[in-house]
Amino acid sequence: MIRYTLRRLTLLIVTLWLLTVFLFSLNYFFPGDTLTNMTGIRASDSLSYQLAAEARGFDSSIFTQYLRFLGHFSSGDWGQSLTTQRDVFKQLLPLLGGTLELSVLAMLLAMVIGAPLGLYAARQQRGAMDRVVMGVSLSAYSVPVFWLAQLLILLFAVKLGWTPISGQLNPLFNIDVQTGSIILDILASDNPYKSAALADAINHLWLPVIVLAIMPGTMLMRITRNSMLEVLQQNYIRAARARGLSELRILFRHVLPNAMQPVVRQLGLMFSILMSNIIVTEVIFNWPGLGSWLVKSIYERDYPVLQGGLFAFATLILFVNVVVELFHAWRYPQVRKELYAEH
Amino acid sequence: MTILDIRNLNIELETDNGPVRVLDRFNLQLAEGEIHTLVGESGSGKSLLAKAILGFINPRWKITADRLWWRDYDLLALNNAQRRLVTGRDMAMIFQDPSSHLDPNDKVGPQLCETIPSGELTGIYLKRRADRQTRAERLLHRVGIKDTKDVMESYPHELSEGLAQKVSIAMAIAHNPKLLIADEPTTAMEPSTRAQIYRLLAKLSAGQGMSILMITQDLTAVVPESQRISLIYCGQLMETGPTDDVMQAPLHPYTDAMLSMSLFNQDTPVKTRLPTLSGAIPTLQHMPIGCRLGPRCPYARRACVKQPELRKQQHQQFACHYPLREDSEHE
Repeated sequence: MIRYTLRRLTLLIVTLWLLTVFLFSLNYFFPGDTLTNMTGIRASDSLSYQLAAEARGFDSSIFTQYLRFLGHFSSGDWGQSLTTQRDVFKQLLPLLGGTLELSVLAMLLAMVIGAPLGLYAARQQRGAMDRVVMGVSLSAYSVPVFWLAQLLILLFAVKLGWTPISGQLNPLFNIDVQTGSIILDILASDNPYKSAALADAINHLWLPVIVLAIMPGTMLMRITRNSMLEVLQQNYIRAARARGLSELRILFRHVLPNAMQPVVRQLGLMFSILMSNIIVTEVIFNWPGLGSWLVKSIYERDYPVLQGGLFAFATLILFVNVVVELFHAWRYPQVRKELYAEH
Repeated sequence: MTILDIRNLNIELETDNGPVRVLDRFNLQLAEGEIHTLVGESGSGKSLLAKAILGFINPRWKITADRLWWRDYDLLALNNAQRRLVTGRDMAMIFQDPSSHLDPNDKVGPQLCETIPSGELTGIYLKRRADRQTRAERLLHRVGIKDTKDVMESYPHELSEGLAQKVSIAMAIAHNPKLLIADEPTTAMEPSTRAQIYRLLAKLSAGQGMSILMITQDLTAVVPESQRISLIYCGQLMETGPTDDVMQAPLHPYTDAMLSMSLFNQDTPVKTRLPTLSGAIPTLQHMPIGCRLGPRCPYARRACVKQPELRKQQHQQFACHYPLREDSEHE
C-alpha cells in the first residue's frame, strides 16, 4: 500500500510539474507582451513593469525565467487580473469554495439517488421498473447539460416561478464572503436574518445542483446496476446462500460492498465529467465560481486569470482522482494483488 | 439408515429445441455417516444433482421424482423457504475453486464468524461476539489450520487453494451438517494437498457421523474411505454399489471402461494405445435414446435402444442389458 501511495503521489507531482511547464509556455504563445500575460502588469505602468521584469529574470535565459516563474507561482503570486487589477490567487480562493459547494452537493445527490435506483433496477432485472429506470437514465444521460439547464430554468424559474433564475443569493442579505461556499458563509456570519438568508441560498442552490447531479447520477445508476448483476452471479454469493445466510445479510455484507467496487473506481471519472459540466452550469446560472470566472477570463483575454483558473481546475481533478484511486486500493485489497502481486 | 433417498429423479431443461433431459431416472441412496462417491465426466449432470438436492433450482428446470426425501422431509413437497430452512440447517457444500467461493473483499475471520449459527450463542452482544471468535478459531483447528490468527486476518486472495478449501470446509461444518456435498473439492490442487483434504473429510465423516457425497471426475480420485460409489454417464446411472466390489468386479461396461482407462501405470509398454471408449460424449441436444452409452458401448446390441431397468446382483446395482458377468443364480 505504501508503494502504491508513493507511486500515485509521484505521478501527481510529475503531472502538476508538467502543468506548470505548460502554463509557463502559454505566456509566450498568447498574443501580447509575455510579462504582461504572466503578471497582469501593463507595459505602460513603467516602474512596476521594470521591477517585475527584473524579479522574473527577463534579462537572463528562459530557464531562469521558468525557475523564477515556479518560485512566484508556488508562493501564491499568480499575478493580477488584467481587467480588475486584483490579485488572482486571492480572488481564486472564494470562487473555489463556490465551485466546491456545487460539486460536492451535486456528487452527494448523484450518489443518494443513483446508487439506490441502480440497486433497485438490478433487483427487478428485466422487470418493468428496470426498463423504466434504465430508459430514463439513458435519456437523461444523453441530454446536453446546457440545454437541460435552460429548459429547467424555463420551467421552474420562469413558468412556475419556484426559484430565482440565477445567482447565488439575494444581494439584500449582506453576507461577507469568506470561504465562498454560500451555506458555510451564512452559517459563519452574524447576520440577524440568518435563517431567511439560508432559505434564500437553498432556493438558489437546488436547481443547479439537480442539473449537475443528473449526469453523474445516471452514470452511477447504470454502473451500480451492472455491477450488482455481476456480483449476484459470483460464486461467493451462491456459496453464501448455500451456507444458509439470510438474504438481507448477503445483500449488505457481501453483495453491496463488492458491487460498490467498480462504482468507486469510476468516481474519479465522474468527477472529471462533473467539472466540465460545472463550467457551463455556472455560466448559465451566473454562479460565482471558478467556472464562470474562467469563461469570463477567456472572453476578456485576461491571461493571468485564465492560467490561474486552468491550474485550479486541473489540480482539483487530479487531486480527486488520486484520492479516489488511493481509497479504492485501500478499501479493496485484492486490487493491490492485481497491481503488484503483493499482500 | 438411509437419510437421503432419491428414486427416479428427472431434471429437464427448457431449451430452444424443446426440453432436454439432463438427469434421467437417477437413483441414489445415502446412509448416515457414509461416504458416497459419485463419478461422472463433465456434463454428466453430477453438479446439477447436487444443486437439485440443495434446492438451488432455476425456475426453468422441471424436476420430477418418485422420491426425493431427506430424512423425514419430502423435499419436492416443501416450498422454497421451507426447503432452504431444511437444507440450510442439515446440508453444506464445498466446491472446486474454493477461493472464488469466498468474498474477496472481506477477511476470512468475519466470513467464518457469520456462518456460525446465532441460535447456539447466548449472552449479551459482546459475549456473543467473543464466543463467535473462539468458535471460529476452534473450527479452523478442526480442519487442521494451526496459525488461526493469521488466517483469520487474511483476505481470500492471500490464501493458497488448499488453505482456502480448508477454510471452506470449516465454514461448511460450522453448523454441524448431516450431509456434506463436496463437488470436486480438490481439482487443481497438488497431490499432497489433495491427500490432506481427503483425509480431513474422511476424519470428519467418521468423527461426527456426517455423510459425504463426494463428486469427482475420475476413478483415481476415489478415496479408500468411500463406502459406496455410483457412476453416472450423461445423466443416467450406470452402476452403483460398495466401492470395493465395483472397483474389483465391475458389472457395467462403462465402469469397466473407466477402470481400464485409469489403470494406466508404469508397466504399460511405451507407445501402447491407451484404452478409451470410441466416440465422444453426445451433446445435450443429441442424446441417444435408450441407454445413452449405446453408441459408444463395445457390447451394445439391438436391445440397448430401450433403457435398461436398474438390476441388482449381490450388492451391486447396474443398468445394463448385457452385464459383464451374468450371475444366473441371483437373477
